[in-house]
Amino acid sequence: MILDTDGLKPIYIQIAEWIESEILHGNLQQDDKVYSQYKLADMYNINPATAAKGLKLLADEEIVYDKRGIGKFVSEKAQAIIVEKRKGQSLKHLLEDVVSEAKRLNMTEEEVRKALKELWKTSGEDD
Amino acid sequence: MKAIHCKELTKQYRRKAALDGVDLSIDDNKIIGLIGRNGAGKTTLLKIISGMLRESSGHVEVFSKRPFNNLFVSANSIYIDDQMNFPPSLTLKELLKEGRRFYKNWDHDLALRLFEHFGFHEKESHKNLSKGKESTFNMIVGLCSRCPLTIFDEPTTGMDAAVRKDFHRALLKDYIAHPRTILLSTHYMNEMEDLFEEVVLLDHGKLRLHTTMDDLREYAIGLSGKVSSVQPWLEGRDVLDQQESGLDDVQVAVKHDYTDGEIQRMRLDGISVTSIQPTDACMFLTKQEGGGLDHVFRSNESE
Repeated sequence: MILDTDGLKPIYIQIAEWIESEILHGNLQQDDKVYSQYKLADMYNINPATAAKGLKLLADEEIVYDKRGIGKFVSEKAQAIIVEKRKGQSLKHLLEDVVSEAKRLNMTEEEVRKALKELWKTSGEDD
Repeated sequence: MKAIHCKELTKQYRRKAALDGVDLSIDDNKIIGLIGRNGAGKTTLLKIISGMLRESSGHVEVFSKRPFNNLFVSANSIYIDDQMNFPPSLTLKELLKEGRRFYKNWDHDLALRLFEHFGFHEKESHKNLSKGKESTFNMIVGLCSRCPLTIFDEPTTGMDAAVRKDFHRALLKDYIAHPRTILLSTHYMNEMEDLFEEVVLLDHGKLRLHTTMDDLREYAIGLSGKVSSVQPWLEGRDVLDQQESGLDDVQVAVKHDYTDGEIQRMRLDGISVTSIQPTDACMFLTKQEGGGLDHVFRSNESE
């Protein structure tokens, strides 16, 4: 991953999301130890406090759990929590972009639905 | 624990106040960026903290001691700038040896490896170094001293981009291995911001802002779009900068206290919402009153 330092997204959230992706892709399994704040700082050339903030975010969302003095580990429900969260957030943002662009183009809701349906069908055929 | 504590710190040079009532507390073991325009008082503050200058009034403590003429503070801190006063009769290698003698945490092994990495020669003398090489050597001394309070005043003066990058990496790696309080002033904040935990912004001798780097990244946001759609969102907000562009488009930097819902509604209004880089946020926060450079040229053109 390359950090996007120009975007609206804070770096600690990008760090958290990168770890989430590692979990989703199966590179980090349940009860695996997650990279420490120092390891992350070294990997991404960032202040360890920023990395720690990303890890804390994951802990608050119960994606990782803390073993005092040892580190953070992937929780049992991590996969499910991440999937639910991404459905709620990323997809919503993408849909927002679609709606605002459609409004700019004076498209009706019906037209957008139709376009989405077509897209859904064609991408289904690829699988 | 607090590494540095200043209360109403003031430094007066004849009639001009270089520092004007600065209240500042710095926790230990953090990397702090000190930012400000030329003449904002950065060097004065750093020199007072390292005990090289005496404050005119107010209160300053470093490791709970007043730094001026204090042996404890000078043994536990190092101040690096581009005017280091090294004895001219010693070679670079001999200077490193003196560093080992003087600083109790000195890492001589690291010093020699960095010396080699940056291509220095044993018998070279400090005064014959190029600007960039001089800064590089000073940086090695600053890092290897491992002082509990390490102060770098514009450490990258004259360094080329590759060396600056190496320096940032070396600083971070050594900090991770040996956490300590590092105070660093720079005009290249965009290159260093990821290393900072907190930022102190000085403006005309006054403390303008002291915040975490993460908060500074979200301090302001940029809105651009049609004047008619942007304007209503600026009511009662702290607008930092405003530029008209095109016929009826406007670009605004505004302090970010909008909710996620509001941002979403702006986007649906066709406003493009972007982040404001910390460097730009600091520039907006310390900009001069009255017109900018265009104003200077305008009065010239009208003559």
